[in-house]
Amino acid sequence: MPELPELNPVIHGKLRLALLSLLMGVEEAEFTWLREKTGSTDGNLGAQLMKLEEAGYVAVEKRFVLRKPQTLYRMTEKGRAALTEYVSALKELLGSAI
Amino acid sequence: MGADNLELTERLELIEKLIAEGRRSAESWGWTFVVWGVAYYVAFFWAGWGHFVYAWPVTMIAASLVTIVGLWRHGGRQPSTTVGRAIGATWCAMGLSMFILFDALGFAGHLNDVRIFIAAAAAMLGCANAACSMMLKWKAEFGCALAWWAATVIASFGSVKAGIVAFLVAIFLCQIVFGIYAMVLESRWRSHREAANA
Repeated sequence: MPELPELNPVIHGKLRLALLSLLMGVEEAEFTWLREKTGSTDGNLGAQLMKLEEAGYVAVEKRFVLRKPQTLYRMTEKGRAALTEYVSALKELLGSAI
Repeated sequence: MGADNLELTERLELIEKLIAEGRRSAESWGWTFVVWGVAYYVAFFWAGWGHFVYAWPVTMIAASLVTIVGLWRHGGRQPSTTVGRAIGATWCAMGLSMFILFDALGFAGHLNDVRIFIAAAAAMLGCANAACSMMLKWKAEFGCALAWWAATVIASFGSVKAGIVAFLVAIFLCQIVFGIYAMVLESRWRSHREAANA
């Protein structure tokens, strides 16, 4: 029997998975937009984004626009590859269960 | 195992839904078509009153400012996408080319035949519409490109009156009608998204 793939634990958290999926479709996104789309609290969102940043899956940029602070998140190549691998692993697991 | 499978399937669906959600969020261009369509009409009729050299540059600068302010207010907090940036770049490059070409020809006194202006302007608008339709795989926008190119051909071979009529019809179809159609589609996507998030 072939070995089943393991799912990446960093991505497996539902909020982190949602964040990476959202960032996959865009070039970069503001913290406020991610909060609006996920319906998460500031604290939880910040903590999950930090985990993704520590894993090297997202890059953060802080800047000022019209004197207002803006935090932008961008998916890295490593994050893109990790999400692609995660989706492949999910499909493999689903395929093996049929 | 059945519950696990359901969970895994849900995860795949969530990934697909959110990737699409991110892409759709940045798409809100319909109103710019309407703004530019109105601007073309204003410039065209203003030029017809004998201010040909100034009517177009002034109206185009005003329309550009309205577009910049509108995009900033409308999409300032939206995420940017590569496709969105490519589309913006295509229109920006086309607008600058038209601005330079027609101003140079106009001030140099070589823009005496309105048919040359219509043929060139319609060809460039057709080019931008065709490029964007290929990026978005959107047949309706390619239809706009065909309408612009038809105006180019009519202006080149037909009478001045035929060229003007073709240009005005193309503006109506490709800017006003298409812009409103795009706005309706964008509004539907937003409604579906809100319903899905509810």
